[in-house]
Amino acid sequence: MSKPEDSTLRHITATVVAIAIAATFTTACGSSNKQELSEKAAAIVTGECRDQRDETVTIYSGRTEYLIRPIIEAFACETGIDVRVRWGNSTDLAILIGEEGNATEADVFLSRSPGPVGFLESRGLLGTIDDEVLELVDQQNRASSGSWIGFSGRKRVLVRNIDLVSDSELPESVFDLTEDRYRGRVGIPATNGSFEDWFTVFRDEHGGEVATQWLHDMVDNDAEYYPNNRAIVEAAGRGEIDMGLVNHYYQYQEAAAAGDAHRAENHDFGPNDIGSLLIITAATILGATEERSAAHQLLAYLLSPKAQLYFTNQTFEYPLGADIKPNPILPALTALEIGSVDFDSLGGGFEETERIIRESGILAG
Amino acid sequence: MTAAAFTVGVLFAFPALYLIWRNITSDSDPLGLLTSSRTLEPLRRSVVLAALVSASTAVLGTSLAWLTARTDLPGRRMWRVLLPLPLAYPTFVGAAAFIRTLNPGGLANDLLQAVGINHTFELRGLFGAWLVLTLFTYPYVYLPVAARLRSLPGSLEESARLLGDSGFSTFRRVVLPQTASAITSGALLVGLYTISDFGAVQLMRYDTLTRAIWTTRLADQPTSFALSAILLVLAVVVVGGERLGSRRLSERPPARASTSRLFTTPLDRWRLPGLALVVGTIGLALVAPAAALADWGISGLVRDATGGRSLAINASDIVGPAWNTVWVSVVAACVAVVAVLPTAVLLARYHSRVGPITGNVIISTFAMPGLLIALAMFFWTLRSSWAAEHLRGTLIVLVFAYMVRFGAQALGAAQIAVAAVPDRLHDSARVLGAGSFRRLATVDAPLVTPGLVAGGGLVLLSTMKELPITLLVAPFDFPTLTTKIFQSFEDAFVAEAGLLAMVLVILSGALTWFLVVRRADHLD
Repeated sequence: MSKPEDSTLRHITATVVAIAIAATFTTACGSSNKQELSEKAAAIVTGECRDQRDETVTIYSGRTEYLIRPIIEAFACETGIDVRVRWGNSTDLAILIGEEGNATEADVFLSRSPGPVGFLESRGLLGTIDDEVLELVDQQNRASSGSWIGFSGRKRVLVRNIDLVSDSELPESVFDLTEDRYRGRVGIPATNGSFEDWFTVFRDEHGGEVATQWLHDMVDNDAEYYPNNRAIVEAAGRGEIDMGLVNHYYQYQEAAAAGDAHRAENHDFGPNDIGSLLIITAATILGATEERSAAHQLLAYLLSPKAQLYFTNQTFEYPLGADIKPNPILPALTALEIGSVDFDSLGGGFEETERIIRESGILAG
Repeated sequence: MTAAAFTVGVLFAFPALYLIWRNITSDSDPLGLLTSSRTLEPLRRSVVLAALVSASTAVLGTSLAWLTARTDLPGRRMWRVLLPLPLAYPTFVGAAAFIRTLNPGGLANDLLQAVGINHTFELRGLFGAWLVLTLFTYPYVYLPVAARLRSLPGSLEESARLLGDSGFSTFRRVVLPQTASAITSGALLVGLYTISDFGAVQLMRYDTLTRAIWTTRLADQPTSFALSAILLVLAVVVVGGERLGSRRLSERPPARASTSRLFTTPLDRWRLPGLALVVGTIGLALVAPAAALADWGISGLVRDATGGRSLAINASDIVGPAWNTVWVSVVAACVAVVAVLPTAVLLARYHSRVGPITGNVIISTFAMPGLLIALAMFFWTLRSSWAAEHLRGTLIVLVFAYMVRFGAQALGAAQIAVAAVPDRLHDSARVLGAGSFRRLATVDAPLVTPGLVAGGGLVLLSTMKELPITLLVAPFDFPTLTTKIFQSFEDAFVAEAGLLAMVLVILSGALTWFLVVRRADHLD
């Protein structure tokens, strides 16, 4: 057959073979320089790295690499324990563990919000955390069953565009947002995990009817749906939307990234308002793990003073352990926010929350 | 050949079997859900959206293919490199870029304001989802149709022109009938992709079945599985229907004699409108999102250089993932093409019952959400302790999952390519004593290569941007560009996401040119 076509095949074959060889080569030498610490991790580590031990702990992390990796690197350096991480979305990782069941490779699961952890607890896949680690956080920030602990907190706030919303217009309570003066001005991340968890606690605190009515009123008030918190903070910063219900900490990331061009600020609802609830990020040890000791060391490390300092100073979250004070730029926590909420109700109430949100019509908003 | 196709069919059925198993073992009730308006409304929206997007991409993709392959349109070679590229945008990135650039503070909005238009165009709902999906999926039609057009003899067109037909009437009477099966199989892929897409409908707030599957996936798994089963049945029905319909269309044109050259239709006064269509498509589908991404990325670089917040990624955070992305995608594309080839041959050459059934399995699987395919991989590897030990978390399973997810894209193109090899060439070769392998290498291979390369190109581009399977199935410490982009978006590292997405699009462009377009151009 004609020449160019033969050479086409040959070129493609050669390319593929070359890529395959190069791939084998890089995979083979890829794992040699793991112990190099990044700058951020080095800032956490005190002292020298320990020699590697023959222990590996496997994490499924719904918290992203950008914010968590430095702590994990520091942990690996200081303990000599090797760490493997599967990064992903908390919900999808929880579903994956549900599918794997007791055959899961995960020893530890880190979740952005309590809902996915509740799912795993309802499946009976969580182990019990030893008391000495449980006691590193206050009773209200861990499961009474001992199956998970909180290791940092994010507060629900109202983010607002400072050019479009004046101080006098700011609401005292999340219930005010159903008033006519806020028509079409509020963004809601209705399918986002922390919003769903917040709504579940809302139902628990005020009763299902009140919470459902509030959501319907918000829909009637032309509240805008956004897929997640970040999109709302960013949209408020650009003036696409006036305000929105979000986790507090995206505001700091956006402001750090965009500077003065980001025209938004956080507004804290009044004390005792359900709108300013603290949502905790949760760590848990799987029931089937064979690395209980290493997993416990990891959880303890997450709650150590230096990790908690990192969370509040570098990722702008609320510390939950080691008596570390929150970063002064964060809105103050009032007594109600931590401590009054039964997070254990989150797992079972989750399905109902999802149904109410879907039926409210907010998804088409 | 039948045995090979059958085996492949069974492998491709893994996700569907998993889904059926889950529906039986959990208290799912797909039939009960079918009577509820909570299901029927989203289902209707999925069907409407899929029909609209299929129709518009069929028209757009075919027009673009014909313009760049068979006319004297200026700049054809460049357009051929650029036109497949919108497929490189993950829809969640592309749709986000679109929304952001049109909204206040976005690049397009600033430009409009600069020329005095003080209106914010809002993209949402059916229109937004339709527009974004059309712009990002037309290559599913464009690539196979362009490949088909390049392997067609020009003689018929030439005769039609000599007999006095105008350019467009030649197109309608000669070109269209000969490309019909490429167009329908491409439009079918678009329809199935649209049914399975989550990124665009979520950002455009169009409440389709996939969105219902997604929002119920944790809180109410039985419902999520039942809705997925409905989605799968819908796909099987659509694919079966297409097959029945396309049987009448199947065409077997004469092969191009080696001396025959492509006939180029002069566009004359249609040159400007033709050029406008191509430039407009590239402008909207490729340049606009790229500009938005570059806007994010460059502002991050500037910030980094002027002492603002420094970028959270460095060169090695890009190079490693980029390399992983490239090589695993190339391998997946090759594996997918090889895997679907027996089925393509059966479908095109033999009246075997295995061919259509396997074909339907392969193509319907394309409508299944990536998350389900990922879960199915775990389900099956955990059935045996040997597989759990040796296969789970390996690249073998990852490549296998990509193959299952995207094999449909290779099958359509492969089938058309194989069907185009004339029987008489085979007969002659057999008479001359060539064995079946030799016939494959010397008769089929050269003729089917452009089609297979186009199919592989589709798989390549899709794999490069795949997210849910990569996140869950990839080995530990195997970051790819999309997993990095996903993580950047999750925590508001927009500049980093922009840079990584730019790298993804540029790499996709380079690979498309190197592996697909440059090869195909040899054949001109």
